[in-house]
Amino acid sequence: MNNMGINIQKKQQRAGWFFLAPAALLIFVMNFYPMFQAFMMSLKTGVGKNMHFTTVPFFNYTRMFSDKIFKQSIGNTFFYLIIQVPVMLILAILLAQILNNKDLKFRGLFRTMVFLPCATSLVSYSLIFKSLFATRGLMNEIFIKLGIFKDYYNFLGDPWSAKIIIIIALLWRWTGYNMVFYLAGLQNIEYSVYEAAKIDGANGWKTFWHITVPLLKPTIIMTFIMSINGTLQLFDESVNLTNGGPANTSITMSHYIYNNSFSGTNVPNFGYASAMSFFVFILVGILAFINLKVGDSRD
Amino acid sequence: MKKRFVSLMMAGALTATALVGCGSSSGSGSDASSDSGKKDENPTAKAVDASKEGDNELSVYAWDAGFNIPALKAAEKAYQKKNPDFKLNIVETADSTEVQNRIILAGNAGDYSTLPDITLFQDHGIHQYTTNYPDVWKSVGDKDGEWDQFSQEKLSYSTINKKHYGYPVDNGAVIFAYRTDILEQCGYTMDDVTGITWDQWLEVGKTVHEKTGKYLLSMDNSGNDLPYMMLQAEGISQFKDGKASLTKNDKIEKIFEVLQKAKDNGSLLLCNSWSDYTDQSIQGDQVAGVMNGNWIIPTMQKVKENSGKWAITTLPTLSGEEGYASNGGSSLYITAACKGKKADLAKDFLHYTFGGGDGAVETYDAALTEGGVISTFAPAGKSDVYSKGVEFFENQPIYQTIVEYGTHVKEVEQSDYHYDLRTNVNTAITNLTQKDKSKRPTVKDALKEAEETTNAKMEADGQ
Repeated sequence: MNNMGINIQKKQQRAGWFFLAPAALLIFVMNFYPMFQAFMMSLKTGVGKNMHFTTVPFFNYTRMFSDKIFKQSIGNTFFYLIIQVPVMLILAILLAQILNNKDLKFRGLFRTMVFLPCATSLVSYSLIFKSLFATRGLMNEIFIKLGIFKDYYNFLGDPWSAKIIIIIALLWRWTGYNMVFYLAGLQNIEYSVYEAAKIDGANGWKTFWHITVPLLKPTIIMTFIMSINGTLQLFDESVNLTNGGPANTSITMSHYIYNNSFSGTNVPNFGYASAMSFFVFILVGILAFINLKVGDSRD
Repeated sequence: MKKRFVSLMMAGALTATALVGCGSSSGSGSDASSDSGKKDENPTAKAVDASKEGDNELSVYAWDAGFNIPALKAAEKAYQKKNPDFKLNIVETADSTEVQNRIILAGNAGDYSTLPDITLFQDHGIHQYTTNYPDVWKSVGDKDGEWDQFSQEKLSYSTINKKHYGYPVDNGAVIFAYRTDILEQCGYTMDDVTGITWDQWLEVGKTVHEKTGKYLLSMDNSGNDLPYMMLQAEGISQFKDGKASLTKNDKIEKIFEVLQKAKDNGSLLLCNSWSDYTDQSIQGDQVAGVMNGNWIIPTMQKVKENSGKWAITTLPTLSGEEGYASNGGSSLYITAACKGKKADLAKDFLHYTFGGGDGAVETYDAALTEGGVISTFAPAGKSDVYSKGVEFFENQPIYQTIVEYGTHVKEVEQSDYHYDLRTNVNTAITNLTQKDKSKRPTVKDALKEAEETTNAKMEADGQ
């Protein structure tokens, strides 16, 4: 008879909690608890088994700002971010626009081709780019046969060209991925809007700038956040393509964190590595927040 | 009631799969895929449960099926003469790094039971690992091997705080191999490159590059061992009293000047990675000289058409004396997982075979013929197998020569931060050899930077 006291709303609420509980519990145990542990670890120092809390609180956090290699890795990561993300997203949106054209023949084929790089594993495509741009690799042979280069050029041995090749690799791998989001976004825009614009005499550029871009805004923001997040955590390309070299000029933050924890050649300093991870975490948070604020159309 | 239970189960299953799905979704960049890619084609060791073995069995982690594993098999066979029922379970790991990662895992967890009885371990890493995981390996100091008969330099790696830990396996003695046909083409003989100064060597390198387009030396510039070897030949360490010390010795500066000049005049080829070094520079026939630990020989021998065209000699030095150095190599260590009677068995086995006991010559002879492993054990160097001429090297008895080289290597100060310093020295070399000469730092500044970076890390780790 007690059940009579509980009204339907409460009953539903209870069911809701019931459904939420397993997921919440798993997320707590597998995500939040390790995060908390990682934070505690970031306050400790010492390599190997000799971990202990630092005598100066937050020592690891101050240490990273006097660590030249870490500062270099921040610089590199932001270099990739600033050059690669805008270029990639502009390319993606243009490709999406072209491939959204109803009159285009073999549309499906082209879409598949642009998207296909995303189906390759990060490691394998990095290794393929590495052999493509090796000193005696395909690209060098082509350039020499065409007479553009006189001698073999060591692409991955020069700080600038190594970074550019990482950017080219990233563009190849991720442009199609972002294009798919834009394509999906474009499908949601009524064709009649474009027809109306045409009647009003708008040219292609104007329709793109005044109709496509504003209507795609949520998608653009989403891809921006995802790309920024992904680039800040860039790892595979740095490890497999250039191995951070030459002289750490292409190393990324994640790669340096990895070197401090799992490289194997050195005994790990997990405390310092977790502190740097938290720094990356905070950076991603800040950038995502700025992005959301900039993109927010509400007043 | 039943229905509710079923739906609950379904919800549970859904959340579970959703969580799994989360793991593989990706932004652009770092995924879990990274750690699954690189080493998949290689064998990966399973954790060993040492307690489940028979009493007369030992397990060991080792890498390189063409090198270390035949050596261990040879030892097993030799020991079976003394102990016929003995069995050695060799667990092959993908590489030396995997053994290190497993030590880290067991060490941080404080549970050594997953380790095998014995592990092979890199000589350059052992100091750092015993300092930071003090109880992973057992000292074997109380068991007298015939240590006098070994290269003292080799033993200096596995002796930590005057306690001895390891049984040496291979010999890291450095050879400088030259292509005699190319030297001849340029008007030189092997005598012209033996016992010379680095300045004279630079002249030879320049001539060879101008006449044949080949480099007299190449090295992987992502893990450049040249400075270490060249300095060891001078008897100098890059460390002093536990700290990186590169700026206080003029000779170090001179060595780096040699490297810079060698790069500029076409004597030296710096490769981007280890595979570029082995596959492109050596096997791609771009070089007329190879200088590295003698374990590089199997790599050179892969180019069959160059057989009979190589010869080995010592290193040039700044003063023109013959230089001896050692690079790489590994030793066998008994872990904390090996207890009681097992520990006695392990010690007896290692002592009898690799440690200079009655089966040592047999073990080392078989290790050489089966795997090309050259010993640091002097009596082994006198056996027939070692004195045979090697066709690839103009019938020089190179094995004997290499054992002899090993005995001349000077001991230099080792450090836990060997690899850290190497990385920073790499940066220095890259900056010193960059194309745009106006951007190059002075040798002094580059060395100072490498020294400071290494010492800063040491200090910070010690906080």
